[in-house]
Amino acid sequence: MFDIRLQEGRGLVLTGRLDASQTTKASTVLKAVESSMALDLSDLEYVSSAGIGVLVQTQKRLQSTGHSLKLVNVQPRVRAIFHYAALESYFGID
Amino acid sequence: MELEKRFPREFTALESILDFVLEFYKRSGIAAPDPSQVQLMIEEIFTNMIKYNDGHQNISIRLRRMGDHLEICLTDFDVEPFDYASAPEVDTEQLLERKQSGGLGLHLVKKMADRMTYEYVDRNSKLTILKRLGG
Repeated sequence: MFDIRLQEGRGLVLTGRLDASQTTKASTVLKAVESSMALDLSDLEYVSSAGIGVLVQTQKRLQSTGHSLKLVNVQPRVRAIFHYAALESYFGID
Repeated sequence: MELEKRFPREFTALESILDFVLEFYKRSGIAAPDPSQVQLMIEEIFTNMIKYNDGHQNISIRLRRMGDHLEICLTDFDVEPFDYASAPEVDTEQLLERKQSGGLGLHLVKKMADRMTYEYVDRNSKLTILKRLGG
């Protein structure tokens, strides 16, 4: 199960498992983002390369207009995936 | 301890694959590595087989405890060969330049696996991954 929705004060909140079967759902919401935004990953349990691909596409699009995504509250097991992908700094993960 | 099952070549099978991995962990009493790492390696190879192989049959996934290692084996039947284990390393900078994630999945598997071996016999493409227990 995966969910992505805007929550006041938290930005976009991603919940559950962002695998290859859920990228359309994530992409539909992220395509509407037009300015800098935080993605709260505190409840994201899992991400695969397919999910990272959607985030990379969004980051590239936003950066081309001077904006960016910042991933916050990234849980250790998800953070490890971004580490293996060498994308921690690309998404501003502290 | 060994568990094997065949899954339809659809992305929606990923949920059933997760249940399969968790069932193996439950039956074998393995605590580490985190099952999400195993799930990730399986997802990356499984989706790669769906996207790039010309097969029509279900894909076999077998999990087996081998001493201090976990063996993860995926077999795609009646397809052309593709040697995952020998595929060139990708450069993450290049992935970002291309604005796509192609190649990232295999990169992640290679980072996580302790060993990968590929066999192609009778038009069956078989990748075996070894992951140290506790790692």
